[in-house]
Amino acid sequence: VSALFAAGVDVGSTQTKAVILGPRREIAGRAVVPTGAQIARAAERAFEAALQSAGILRAAVGKVCGTGYGRFKVSFGDFQTTEITCHARGAHLLFPETRTVIDMGGQDTKAIRVGPHGEVLDFSMNDKCAAGTGRFLTAAAEVTGLDLGAIGKIALEGRDPVRMTSVCAVFVESDIMSYLAQGKSVPDVLAGVHRAIAARTASLVRRVGIEPEITFTGGVSRNVAMVKALEAVLGAPLNVSADSHFCGALGAALIALERLEAEAAAAAAAAPGPAIEDWEDGR
Amino acid sequence: MDAWFQEIAAAAREGRPSAVLMVSGAPVEILRALDIVPIYPEVNALQLAIRKKSLPMILRAEQEGYASDSCAYVKADVGMLLSNAAVRPTFVICNYVGCNVYVKWFEHVAAMTGAPLLMIDVPFARTRELLPEDVRYVVRQLEELIAAIERASGRRLDRDRLSEICALSARAEDAWSRCKALCKARPAPFDAYFDSINLMGPANCLRGTKAAAEVLEAAAAAYEAASAEGRGPLPEERFRIVVEGPPPYPAYRSFRDLFARWGAVAVASTYSCVGGLWEFGFRHDPARPLESIAEHMLLENLTNRSLIDRAARIERYLRDFGAEALVIHSVKSCRLFSAGQGDLRERIAREAGFPTLMLESDLEDPRYYAEAQMKNRIDAFFEALEHKKKLAGTRSDANGRTGL
Repeated sequence: VSALFAAGVDVGSTQTKAVILGPRREIAGRAVVPTGAQIARAAERAFEAALQSAGILRAAVGKVCGTGYGRFKVSFGDFQTTEITCHARGAHLLFPETRTVIDMGGQDTKAIRVGPHGEVLDFSMNDKCAAGTGRFLTAAAEVTGLDLGAIGKIALEGRDPVRMTSVCAVFVESDIMSYLAQGKSVPDVLAGVHRAIAARTASLVRRVGIEPEITFTGGVSRNVAMVKALEAVLGAPLNVSADSHFCGALGAALIALERLEAEAAAAAAAAPGPAIEDWEDGR
Repeated sequence: MDAWFQEIAAAAREGRPSAVLMVSGAPVEILRALDIVPIYPEVNALQLAIRKKSLPMILRAEQEGYASDSCAYVKADVGMLLSNAAVRPTFVICNYVGCNVYVKWFEHVAAMTGAPLLMIDVPFARTRELLPEDVRYVVRQLEELIAAIERASGRRLDRDRLSEICALSARAEDAWSRCKALCKARPAPFDAYFDSINLMGPANCLRGTKAAAEVLEAAAAAYEAASAEGRGPLPEERFRIVVEGPPPYPAYRSFRDLFARWGAVAVASTYSCVGGLWEFGFRHDPARPLESIAEHMLLENLTNRSLIDRAARIERYLRDFGAEALVIHSVKSCRLFSAGQGDLRERIAREAGFPTLMLESDLEDPRYYAEAQMKNRIDAFFEALEHKKKLAGTRSDANGRTGL
């Protein structure tokens, strides 16, 4: 029996995600682990956990695609694809009407314009500076002593968001400290943080052109205040799925599955027997 | 390049006069006719970078107070002068065209070396056609330059020799243009970005000598033979691109490899014309030496023209050379020529409809080059082009175009 599943492993700067895709393009399993310093090991662990969540054996996976900054460390991967292509394909699979993808990860924010087949038409991303990325939120959580997963909900309570002087992930600490010293509330400060990132992201997105539907992917898409802030500044609703966080790994798995299908089709064509297409075409 | 370095070293050793000047729109024919060795600080700087020796010089200049975002060519050159690693010129000729950073740069060089500063004011090209008053204005200044050098060196300019040198320049310009036109073929016989940059050495540093004409004529013959045999720089030409901007010299080889592994070949580039826009027909004219030198400085070079003109030329390259995409390498420390590249990208991508990739690092400062980020962008760009080709293939486009 030939392998029916394909996998994508997305090794990001903070987290490593893995997705197993079944033959009907359904998500059969998923997993996320912290990346840490042992990149190859993190990829292994994420893949194994995803296999377990799918309830399948490794042998059932016919093709593995690595993506993310650590994609060349996916030692068991068959090939690599950049996360830009993968996020576009993954977003298109989740929301077929997607034309713009905003991916916000630990260190990168990307805006991708996609075509009707999920093909990348243009992209733009932050350069050598983590300003306005997930790193900014992590720094804000650290300085307020809050859990990263909690700051979104708290930010939603802000009534009078502060105006951040920059979106620099290094200077955010002193900026926040000075607002707190002035007596501003934590929700107001955090609301200001989200608003500042949204404004910076919007200019990145405008560079590639905003076309609906817009799909929000990457780890930060789980942050409800970020979704709201982006929707407000872009003036359009965002598609967010429970699997948005896994979008890169999902796209990688989809590309792997397509390769698997193409190879199977080529093998079938090479096999002896009547070539059905020939008489159907009347050639 | 060796020949040129040895020429400079010999001049310094034997006490023969030399002059620093800017590559773009250089009036080097006049210097050659007066036996004054040309020194191009830009070329010195990039040679340092490609040999991975630029950072200590940049740091030396920053220690002196030069800002982190000022031109890294300037800093490398200043660092070399401060470290006594550069030849001290007899003359500093500021022939700045377009790049007004040169004015301050060469003032500093003159102050540091004590060499006299000879300034030529070249008006920026405001129109597409040459203005006769601009030509007269520059010719007059060239006459003053000649007189100043004659006074200081005790030499006399031989006008017949100047004409002969202009004829040698024209020979090199002819051969270079022959090379460039060959890249319209599929496959292109050489990479019109990386291989052209290699040829810029003799084309710019030795222009006006027999050696430059011979090197470029030999290159043209070799490329014509390669083209006749259907040979290209890579085993397979999969993508034809146009490149705008100078390369990241500190990572020159690895940058080239990022394109080569995709089978991407540059069929035209703007930077390779920094010495002059000869491929569009301009030649130094032995019958009108000073006028043609002035025209070259005013209009027939890369840096003295507007952004709109640059965009139009890029579009022409994309269409005439059958390219499918544009790659822009923006230089962090060159605000003068990187400014407007965002608009350039929009115009080419949105209006002309060619996929455009914008990369950024530096031409001299290795601190701005992040290999993983560079690779990520380049890989994503070619993945997208490949995906498009695949989609176009499955849609079986009737006229065989890829849709790019």
